[in-house]
Amino acid sequence: MNQLFTSKKNILWLVGPGVLIMLFAIVAPILLSVYYSLTDWSGFGAKTFIGLANYKEVLFQDPTFWRSLYNALLLLVVTVFIQNVLAFILAAVLNQLKEKYSLVLRTIYFVPAILTVVVITKLWTNMMNPNYGMINKLLGAVGLEAWQHSWISDPKTALGAVIFITVWHGFGWALLFYYSGLTTVPQELHEAAVVDGAGPFKRYTAVVIPYMLPVIQAVIIIDITSCLKQMEIILLSTEGGPGNTTQFVAYHLYEQAFKFSRYGYGNAISIVFVIVALTITMLAQKYLSQANEKL
Amino acid sequence: MKKLSIGQIIIFFFLILIALAQLFPLFWLFNYSLQKSSNLFGPKLLDIPVDPQWGNYAKAWINGRIAQYLTNSVIVVAASIFFILLFSFTIAYACSRMQWKLRKVVYNFVLLGMVIPIHTTLLPNFIWFSKFGLIDTHMSLIIPYTAFFLAFSVLMFTGFLHSLPFAMEESAYLDGAGLGTILLKIVAPMVKPGFVTVGIMAFLNSWNEFIMANTYLASETKRTLPFSIIRFEGEYASDYAVQFACMVIVAVIPIALYFIFSKRIIAGVTAGSVKG
Repeated sequence: MNQLFTSKKNILWLVGPGVLIMLFAIVAPILLSVYYSLTDWSGFGAKTFIGLANYKEVLFQDPTFWRSLYNALLLLVVTVFIQNVLAFILAAVLNQLKEKYSLVLRTIYFVPAILTVVVITKLWTNMMNPNYGMINKLLGAVGLEAWQHSWISDPKTALGAVIFITVWHGFGWALLFYYSGLTTVPQELHEAAVVDGAGPFKRYTAVVIPYMLPVIQAVIIIDITSCLKQMEIILLSTEGGPGNTTQFVAYHLYEQAFKFSRYGYGNAISIVFVIVALTITMLAQKYLSQANEKL
Repeated sequence: MKKLSIGQIIIFFFLILIALAQLFPLFWLFNYSLQKSSNLFGPKLLDIPVDPQWGNYAKAWINGRIAQYLTNSVIVVAASIFFILLFSFTIAYACSRMQWKLRKVVYNFVLLGMVIPIHTTLLPNFIWFSKFGLIDTHMSLIIPYTAFFLAFSVLMFTGFLHSLPFAMEESAYLDGAGLGTILLKIVAPMVKPGFVTVGIMAFLNSWNEFIMANTYLASETKRTLPFSIIRFEGEYASDYAVQFACMVIVAVIPIALYFIFSKRIIAGVTAGSVKG
């Protein structure tokens, strides 16, 4: 091939700036994070090297960490088994509709997903407000006054409330992914299944879902990262309360570092958190790929 | 019009119910943004404004510092989109069209950016950026927004480049064109849909980002648009209607863009999901 396309200088100019910015803003800080996690630094002043003490504390002496990990995993389970299933069914229904109806509905369903998390969270905390919120008024209107209460400050419903907000916000993405996946299923597959005498339900479980596995896999992988890193909604609504009932890992490490000036400890949580996130991603990838090959 | 079966009516009923669940909260917000704050405490679910308080929007604009925060958001987002498009296009080109030993390694390294959770760098970058005097500047957002979005963008551009024939570039080269000319005049116009799709996704991603902005910016004068809403937590907290008006203003920009570009956005998500 000609030298224009093999010149080292050209390649360096094309690749260099982007790679440098990634080294600077992603790789260097992760290495630094490992270093800080081994110290007792508060974020200011002197720091002492304390070995693995922070990690011991995270794993064995920090019930809030386990609580926050549990909540993050609960959010993941709700997202995968409730939000994703609903989104898939809805996508399948939309896929059967005439294009003009389907387009209008898809456009509407996706609106919340494009809004900033600040608008979404503030909107819902207002809706759930005990004094003027719409949810309580709605319950009153249908005669369920007994259910009216302060959704976000009651420890019994706080976690459910923040999970609901998260799932509502992300619903449009899941729907759009599944819808676009469904449009790639060849019409012949549907027809062949009908010829074989499969009803609508059988057609989906036997033909469409297996065909869609790569898309389902991609959505679940995205869900894992986005559920585990959830913290904005917490920061803007409950701040982990009441009584740590709505702690999430990412918020816990943020709070430790910036609110309680335990910067080194926050970094240790962060490292444990990355290892957990990457492990779950890899396990899910492996399990889903195996399921994919079997079919 | 042909008659609908009972099953179809039930399905349509549910479809509309879900649409209401998605849109009604926003409608509720808009409705009360035009009321007096005290009306919110009435027993009614919706209170159609007989006397719309457009003044709420003027107050929201001023108390929410929207003019300033909007300008900041535009600066940060425009710079991020520019760097994302430039770097991801050139990396994708070098990795899919040029011959060199490390291209697989570099390509895989860049894609790794997709699986690293942003929050891993949230704490260390606070110290790291401050060593370079970047904290409390717009660069402290532009740099990580660019770095974290390169993986997705390179993936997208690589997909677009793969479907292009090499012949055009080759003949331009034989006519004596340099690499810069080939990239700008020949390749870039052919992958224009790629630029639009990546640009929109990069816009949504950086426009809506909050946690880094909350961590790295300290001065009132540097903050980005989502902070307009946060301003109503303290001194203006009881001004519900004005707060709602502020939320409507912040929400309306991405919604407008979404309605203009919805086809492109959907195409972008599709491409991302098929390859992801």
